[in-house]
Amino acid sequence: MPPQRTGRASPPDRPQLPRLPAALLGAALPRVEREEVLDDLAREHRARSESDGPFAARRWVWRQALASLPVLVRRGWWRGWSGFETPSERLQPGEAMFESLAIDVKFALRRLRRRRTYTALIVLTLALGVAGTAAVYGIARRLLFEPLPVRAEDEVVAFWFDGAWSETKFLAVRPVMDDRFRSVAAVRLSDATLRIGDGPARLLKGFSGSAELFDVLGVRPVLGTGFRPGDDRVGAEPVVVLSHSLWRELGGRPSVVGERLEISGQKRTVIGVMSEGFWFPDPGIRVWLCEDLDPENDSGNYGLIGRMRPGMRIEAMGPQLRAISRALDERFDFLEEWDLSKDPVLTPLRERLLGKVKPAVLALLVAMAVILLVACVNVAALMLGQLDTRGTEMAMRSALGAGRKRLLQQLAVESLVIGVLAGIAGAVLASIGFPILIRALPLGALADVARPDWALFAAAMAVALVASTLIALAPGTAVAQGNLQGTLARSRTGGIGGRGGSLEHGLVVGQVALVLLLTSGAALLIRSVDNRRAIDPGVDAAGVAVVDLQLPQTIERTRIPQLIRELVSAAGALPGVESAAATQRLPLRGSSDNWGIRLESRPDLPETSTAFRVVSPEYFDTMRIRLKRGRRLLDTDRDSNVTEGVVVINEALAKKYFAGRDPLGQRIAFTSRRWDRVVGVVDDVAESSLDPEPVPARYMVFEQVPWLLTGQTLVLRVRPGVDPVAILAAARRAIQAVAPAVAISEQTTMEGVLTQAIGPAVQVRSLLALLAGLALLLGAIGIYGVVSHFVARRKRDWSIRMVLGMRPARVVGQIVGRGGALIGAGLVLGLVAFVASARLLASFLYGVGTADPLALAGAAAVLVGAGLVAASVPARRASRVDPAVVLRES
Amino acid sequence: MLAVLRTREDAYGMAVRREIEGVIGREVTIGAVYATLDRLEAKGLVESERSAAAGEVSRRVFVVTQRGARALAASRAMRERLWRGVDLGRLLPKSSG
Repeated sequence: MPPQRTGRASPPDRPQLPRLPAALLGAALPRVEREEVLDDLAREHRARSESDGPFAARRWVWRQALASLPVLVRRGWWRGWSGFETPSERLQPGEAMFESLAIDVKFALRRLRRRRTYTALIVLTLALGVAGTAAVYGIARRLLFEPLPVRAEDEVVAFWFDGAWSETKFLAVRPVMDDRFRSVAAVRLSDATLRIGDGPARLLKGFSGSAELFDVLGVRPVLGTGFRPGDDRVGAEPVVVLSHSLWRELGGRPSVVGERLEISGQKRTVIGVMSEGFWFPDPGIRVWLCEDLDPENDSGNYGLIGRMRPGMRIEAMGPQLRAISRALDERFDFLEEWDLSKDPVLTPLRERLLGKVKPAVLALLVAMAVILLVACVNVAALMLGQLDTRGTEMAMRSALGAGRKRLLQQLAVESLVIGVLAGIAGAVLASIGFPILIRALPLGALADVARPDWALFAAAMAVALVASTLIALAPGTAVAQGNLQGTLARSRTGGIGGRGGSLEHGLVVGQVALVLLLTSGAALLIRSVDNRRAIDPGVDAAGVAVVDLQLPQTIERTRIPQLIRELVSAAGALPGVESAAATQRLPLRGSSDNWGIRLESRPDLPETSTAFRVVSPEYFDTMRIRLKRGRRLLDTDRDSNVTEGVVVINEALAKKYFAGRDPLGQRIAFTSRRWDRVVGVVDDVAESSLDPEPVPARYMVFEQVPWLLTGQTLVLRVRPGVDPVAILAAARRAIQAVAPAVAISEQTTMEGVLTQAIGPAVQVRSLLALLAGLALLLGAIGIYGVVSHFVARRKRDWSIRMVLGMRPARVVGQIVGRGGALIGAGLVLGLVAFVASARLLASFLYGVGTADPLALAGAAAVLVGAGLVAASVPARRASRVDPAVVLRES
Repeated sequence: MLAVLRTREDAYGMAVRREIEGVIGREVTIGAVYATLDRLEAKGLVESERSAAAGEVSRRVFVVTQRGARALAASRAMRERLWRGVDLGRLLPKSSG
């Protein structure tokens, strides 16, 4: 409809109003008032320019326009919302700005309120999709795409054989490296205890390194300095750099630099405080310690990180690495499996720090992208389902005189309202779901780095809104193209011969394919976790509490057995505890603590090593490790002044070294100093990891082992019916009462250790299963929506057939069959896509291939089941309608 | 409403605006006047109709309704009751009256 002026021409003497303020005011006024106000304004403008001058008059008009604008916009909104219309302007077209908008918002809300299921589904779908994307991308961006808190991270590399470098070897090749790298530091994780005054020692996650550490990282503390050359010499003053958070906890005084703190039982001088936001190698680290490197100490558990010279690339470092390798080879004889001089290779620092979490985050990112796609398809399908009724409504309104702009505006407003509702729901979901997601991912300490990405949230919301608005505009454009009669006629006849719905069908097929991607992934992970779980760890993990201890670094090694005995008896005396024991290394916690082994009966045996476990005699009973032959370790074995120690071995060791002979009574040793006699053989325990291939291991009591570490673990078996977690608090108090200087680094249960050992697959599985369930739900909603729309369109068709004698069961059959065909097509597409993308999951799988038929069949079966149920609901509804009613209606 | 009454016959938006401005001595925007008059009309305190003098722009002219008059009288009476017994003499010794 063309805009209509009020009819009268402007008076010829109307003075020129400044154009912009006039346009602004005009836009905010209803058309019928526009001329009156602008005319009055012009008169006063002229009067003022005569009395006060043109400049003052202009300023006055600007002031009037700018100050009136918000009031008038509010008035327009109020008019639209309250429906107020002054009798003097009734039936005059041309609402003010925002008036029609308010009317449309009101109408949209009323319409959405009436279609509750549709609104709930569409809002929830959008909210889940957008919130999930923002959360997952928040994790991915921080972990995969943002730079590390290290200067020029491309220059920083990690060396081969992480954890196998000793102080001796590092110091030996240090000069060789200094020639070839800018700097190289020996580093390792080392938990530390902090004790202030006489308070209990508290555990701090720490990282220690040689003096080059901060040069390699290329960062400087905000207060004080980093490690200085010589800080790592034996006998140098021990120094520490604090994290920003620890510095703040200690009072946040700049004067802390230069003070001395008691860290791990040793006075250390604080030389620096790192900046806020700095983390390395993970955000949990609170202190960086400079270790004194002893050229005599060859018991290595260091890794090396280095900064290459500027402009150097990892691929071009071959000659440098060969030089280092040669230097190592010349100076040392290596055991075959610990040969540092073999296969030197550098890894980018990012790969070393984040490589482990990358597959999980990537898998999640892909899964979430799939969910977002499914959600979008769902929204599109739901909106398309509304098209026919919408088309009728639009045609009707258009016939009653609604302009094209108003019709489109109403549709746009409706999707905007949906968008705002979804935005609110999504923001709530994202802020609640993010911490849960973070905990569900195998991120470890890196979890602290991740934040939800609200910028992306807004962007995703905007994209979803634009997309849904475009879809919403479809019925409007049909109307705008002008075939009112056709639209109305088609809607009256219920759509026989109308649109075939091929777009909707295509959407469902795509959706089924996407959902199958996720359900198959989840099925594969479930299978591989089951495979891991099926492995017998050799210990009874149920009902065991685990407490990891950090003894003070300064404790005399000869004191450790006595202290452990006191701690074990205190823990064993706790109510609810059946027995307690100690071990230097718990099963399932990785493959370190391998000691060399020599056999008296086979002096020709090449140098080799096996797992070595230092335990208290109660250990086998507490962990329920089965005795196969001979005897366990006993209290009477706790004698350090013996010429011959006693050792218990496992079956794998017996099989490997005493094949065909009786191991009992044989003598073995870890050094040349003393022989120990084998007194018993126990069942194999998964000492390092959950692997069906057991590793050879031997066990001795604390008293008979000369080199003990300060990290020890207490295990407490609880009485039946007692929750091991409930014991932990009492255990902590008991330990602190016996030895206040001992810090507790971790408290968990053996079940927890077992779950950890099954690996990231468990966590990724739960998450993927959750997402697959979500996708399945969304997919079922989509199928339901499309099939019920199909049924609604063909209602008249079915009715005629039923009148002609078709049985209701066949109606159901045909409709469900139609749904089934779509699902089938989707499955084929999904399988192809899955086979193409399953590589992503490969690193989590255990004992199943990526194309495991059982898992794929299971996933497909679940999907078909859910799809058919979703299709059968509208089908049954169709079979129950009374043809007479339908035919009369149309 | 008082401004509408004071403007008498020709109480259209801009005239009301000028009236208020003249009395209170501060600049008043046209938007605020229209928005307020709308609200008053919605409450039934004023009503408006279009005047159409020949050769002139059609204007929405406001008059106070009976209900509006009653509301004005009530509010005045209320104010007077409130003022009764209030003596500002001691607080404003020079400008009393």
